[in-house]
Amino acid sequence: MINWASFGIVALATLIGAVTVVGMYSLGVRLWAVSADAGTSAHRTARSGAIACFAVCGAAVLYGIYLIVPFFH
Amino acid sequence: MDLTFIVVLVIALALFFDFTNGFHDTANAMATPIATGAIKPRTAVALAAILNLVGAFLSTEVAKTISGGIIREGEGGVSITPELIFAGLLGAVLWNLFTWLLGLPSSSSHALFGGLIGAAVVGTWGFDAVDFAVVLSKVILPAILAPAIAGGVAYLCTKLAYGITRRTDPDSGDKLVQKRGGFRYGQIFSSSLVALAHGTNDAQKTMGVITLVLIASGLQTAGTGPHLWVVAACAVAIAAGTYAGGWRIIRTLGSGLTDVKPAQGFAAETSTAAAILASSHLGFALSTTHVASGSVIGSGLGRTGSTVRWGAIGKIGLAWLFTLPAAAIVGGLAAWLASPTHGFGTTGLVVSAVIGLAAMVFIFILSQRETVDHSNAVSEVDAVGEAVHIPSKKERERLAARARLAEKAAAKAAAKAAEMADIRAQALAAVERADTAALIAMTAAAERAKTDAREERAAAKEAKTAAHQAAHEAGGKGAGKASGKAAVNTPANATKSAIGDATEDVGTGNVGVGNVTDNSEDKA
Repeated sequence: MINWASFGIVALATLIGAVTVVGMYSLGVRLWAVSADAGTSAHRTARSGAIACFAVCGAAVLYGIYLIVPFFH
Repeated sequence: MDLTFIVVLVIALALFFDFTNGFHDTANAMATPIATGAIKPRTAVALAAILNLVGAFLSTEVAKTISGGIIREGEGGVSITPELIFAGLLGAVLWNLFTWLLGLPSSSSHALFGGLIGAAVVGTWGFDAVDFAVVLSKVILPAILAPAIAGGVAYLCTKLAYGITRRTDPDSGDKLVQKRGGFRYGQIFSSSLVALAHGTNDAQKTMGVITLVLIASGLQTAGTGPHLWVVAACAVAIAAGTYAGGWRIIRTLGSGLTDVKPAQGFAAETSTAAAILASSHLGFALSTTHVASGSVIGSGLGRTGSTVRWGAIGKIGLAWLFTLPAAAIVGGLAAWLASPTHGFGTTGLVVSAVIGLAAMVFIFILSQRETVDHSNAVSEVDAVGEAVHIPSKKERERLAARARLAEKAAAKAAAKAAEMADIRAQALAAVERADTAALIAMTAAAERAKTDAREERAAAKEAKTAAHQAAHEAGGKGAGKASGKAAVNTPANATKSAIGDATEDVGTGNVGVGNVTDNSEDKA
């Protein structure tokens, strides 16, 4: 019958991966929007926070690709 | 000679299957970014093609496990012959083209499995050749679970994305300009990731089939991976197919299931990519088509206010149900024609190839009656044009914000007006009260004045009486002519003047007194 263990692992990996990437990217979009607001004192902090979020996002994606390419293992 | 011919035929058909797979699945990666206007249609398919090409070279893990024990080989099973694979491929290709004509995203992997199963069953004239337990666990259950996983994750991600980026004014709770434009750029990356994942997954299936043929015909030793030229040919075929673009299916996925917004698209694609990459890495076979469709539906459910067209989803579900049996029937038919024992051998093979080709041409001619290409695939979006579409949305937000502001101002003005009206009413009431008071005061004053006048008159009467008396007294001496003027004046004066006058004219003096008396009576 179906391999429920591997199904569970796939579901969990999908959830963690997608939620991480979408969450971080959303946070980046939000911080970017905040930094674009005129007259905010936290302008610079928000902008660098947004960039950090996007970087984490990119790193997560690259790590995912690294995992699936057998050439690297 | 014979063997080489059939091998070449199978390889050609396999590469054509890869091509149909490519343009069938372009939609999985690129439908949503095209629908939201994140990438221009032409650029999108070019990008997807390149990434499929790259992805096909990245990993060949899936290729090694293509048949995956579904078809029992060797003892008690069936020996996989090139004819069998040819029949299976024919079924898969025809079903792929048919669903493309209808614009339905159906799984190319299912079509391939179906074709191979049908061919195996007919080729051995019995169901023993197929391990249906494996079919259930590797094909049918994943077909239900894959959209469920991807849809559920996409639903959560969409909620998450909208929740994090929801911006409201802390004071008034009013919605600010949301500024979710960043997701449009994110979509370019997320859809690229899906295309890459597709390349690592689906191109492998064809590589596996070609390798299978090469092994079956003794041109390659069993247990070795696909040759480099096989990998390259498959990568090019799937990239070319992707570039050709299945615009009909893009239309269905891009706008047929739900109206996709950039944040939704991003969430859906990230979920799709994560699911495909996870499954192909962890050895749980998922169909990219099922995953992508599930994600789009999940993200449609996740955004408040978006509509999900269940009718269209039902149609796709039916196509999914029919994919395996339909491809199996075609595959079985072809296998029967080509079977050396029950059919017509090589002649049958050629006949089935010709019939298959004719069917492909027929479907292609049918598709030309109503062409769907990059210019009209997602017509609503394309017609408006992304240059107009994006600002118009922003403008709508701005207009809405302005409308809200105006509403607020109007409400404030109304409140102020009400206040003013209240004050005015109070003032009016006060004025009225003042008026009444003034009237009362005036009446009272008039009353008082009347009383005064009466008193005066009474005093005048007294004076008159006194004057009369004085006149009488004076009249007693023959001079009773007290004039009115004298009478009104002090009695002493009156007496004096009366005395003076009386001596001059007694007759007029009488008349004068009579006049004064009359007047006094009138006034009283």
